[in-house]
Amino acid sequence: MKNYLKLVNFEISRFFKLYLILIGLTIVCQLIGVIRVSKGYMDLAEKVMDKNQLSVSQFIEQYGTFSFQRFVYSEWFLMSIYIGIAMLMIYVFIIWYRDWLGKNSFIYRLLMLPTERITIYFAKLTAIMLLLLGLITLQRLLVLIEIQIVNSIVPADFRTYSYGISNIDIFVLLYPNTFTEFILIYGIGLIFVAVLFTAILFERSYRLKGIFFAIVYGVLSLGVFFAPLLLNGFYPRYFYPLEIILMGIVTSFIVLGSTIWIANHLLKHKIMV
Amino acid sequence: MIEVKNVHKKYGRKQVLKDLSFTAKKGEITCLIGINGVGKTTIMKAIMALTPINSGEILIDGEKIRKDSFEKITFIPDTIATLPQMRIDEAFTFMADFYKSWNPQRAEELLQFFKLDPTEKIANLSKGSTAKVNMLLGLALDVDYLLMDEPFSGIDMFSREQIAEVFTSHLIEERGVILTTHEISDIEHLIDKAVLIDNGEVIMEFSVEEVRENEGKSVVDVMREVYRG
Amino acid sequence: MTVKFNNRDPVYVQVIRHFKEQIAKGFFEPGQEVPSRRELANQLKINPNTAQRAYKEMEEQGLIFTEGNMPSCITKDEAVLKSVREELIIEAVDLFLGSIKAINVPLSEVLKLVEKKYEAESGETEESI
Repeated sequence: MKNYLKLVNFEISRFFKLYLILIGLTIVCQLIGVIRVSKGYMDLAEKVMDKNQLSVSQFIEQYGTFSFQRFVYSEWFLMSIYIGIAMLMIYVFIIWYRDWLGKNSFIYRLLMLPTERITIYFAKLTAIMLLLLGLITLQRLLVLIEIQIVNSIVPADFRTYSYGISNIDIFVLLYPNTFTEFILIYGIGLIFVAVLFTAILFERSYRLKGIFFAIVYGVLSLGVFFAPLLLNGFYPRYFYPLEIILMGIVTSFIVLGSTIWIANHLLKHKIMV
Repeated sequence: MIEVKNVHKKYGRKQVLKDLSFTAKKGEITCLIGINGVGKTTIMKAIMALTPINSGEILIDGEKIRKDSFEKITFIPDTIATLPQMRIDEAFTFMADFYKSWNPQRAEELLQFFKLDPTEKIANLSKGSTAKVNMLLGLALDVDYLLMDEPFSGIDMFSREQIAEVFTSHLIEERGVILTTHEISDIEHLIDKAVLIDNGEVIMEFSVEEVRENEGKSVVDVMREVYRG
Repeated sequence: MTVKFNNRDPVYVQVIRHFKEQIAKGFFEPGQEVPSRRELANQLKINPNTAQRAYKEMEEQGLIFTEGNMPSCITKDEAVLKSVREELIIEAVDLFLGSIKAINVPLSEVLKLVEKKYEAESGETEESI
């Protein structure tokens, strides 16, 4: 257990500098974005109302109100989200490959530590999930700030009240309303990363053949995981929704369990430096 | 004692190790000799479970390798096994953190012997110094067995002499050492046992002093006979 | 102390030889303490097992002795010391004879040359003192 925590700490501190840069970028990008989008709207409003001698309600009739969605669908916001996701996705691979490639082969050291090798896997998995959680938390805080900024730039009569950000589709995934939904969504995320990790280990154990194994394995896992839904598609209205969910939970555990077992086997008996 | 028994390993189409067997005793220095690509590094990695084998078994003091084994045996590869951006003292902290067998006094002693500056970043060191740090990280562990892959390759003569000095000192005493090299003439007088390898097989395994006594031949002489004849 | 070892004779034999030479030359005094096995290995740059073997042999040959837990010492036995000296002298003589046998000269001539050379060199040594 202690080694696991040490490794988690180690993995996080390795990425920390880049992480801070990512956070900085996100903050800057979104704050600039929210200001520009809000101001853009107000500048437009002023100009149009002045030129055509419109009242506020007349302007709103033609041009619509300002809702937070305007910002959310702007390139500023979307860009920062995409960059964040992209970086994290890339890091899912880099977190393993960086220890193999390059001048120094740190993987030697990791595999020679007096600890079960699966600890390395768990530590990297935990690190990714923590980094993800960090980004999500940052985003939630940013949204609160951004709403304040919008409120200060765009007067109330122009605004549509929309605190329920989860009404906006993108956010449903990132901002689950209940704890159960949270577990569900991040659980799926965890399983996804775990399967990716095992795929990476296939490649590192069998190289070229390994890529093939990795793909087959990935597809198989997807299949098992979505089996309940597929089943439901073949036999619609046969299963109760609760049954489908329960089946889903079972397949999730099967996929997660097998991915960890395979990863452990690969790390102990098949891995190559 | 480290026992390698009938190990076979295939990599792609190539049979890299063919029914390979030898032993290395604790308290002795065993040298794996052979040209490049013959399987020496692969054997060492296999002993450390850093590469899989197809059949055969490898025992360390009668047991198969497990996580605790890494407090008893360590491997010094020919590349440095730490994070590139680490300083030497940071590497020490890392090792101390994870290994019970890390001996900080020994590490200090070696630091001074090799005349290294602990605040230096490992990535910035010369090749010779990197090799010394690498060796240091292995030697400062109170392990019973040390595996060293080409400890002398590509290093200037003086660094080599320093590293050779380590072999005649208390730092190696009582431990079992397996090393690979192709600079055998330099260190012939230091080793106890030679294992000649060619094409993934053990051609000859012998005690160096015995051969000298009984046949008046040096290791290089034997190699010449074996590889040419 | 840098001794050059060849790789064809067993190292431990060469170590013993080295000790005998040092004794014969008087660099090792009778009763003098010898380095520990570890120190010897380090000094001569040899494998500690070799040092161990050398000491064992020398103990058996009577060149060194160990009293209880004390460090080992060079023998004080005059007979042994004498035989060591003799051994080395005979070796040198054998070598010498082997070299000159091929050259057909009468022994008396050879001995005269030896005496001459010997005195010349001791003379030089005396002058330089």
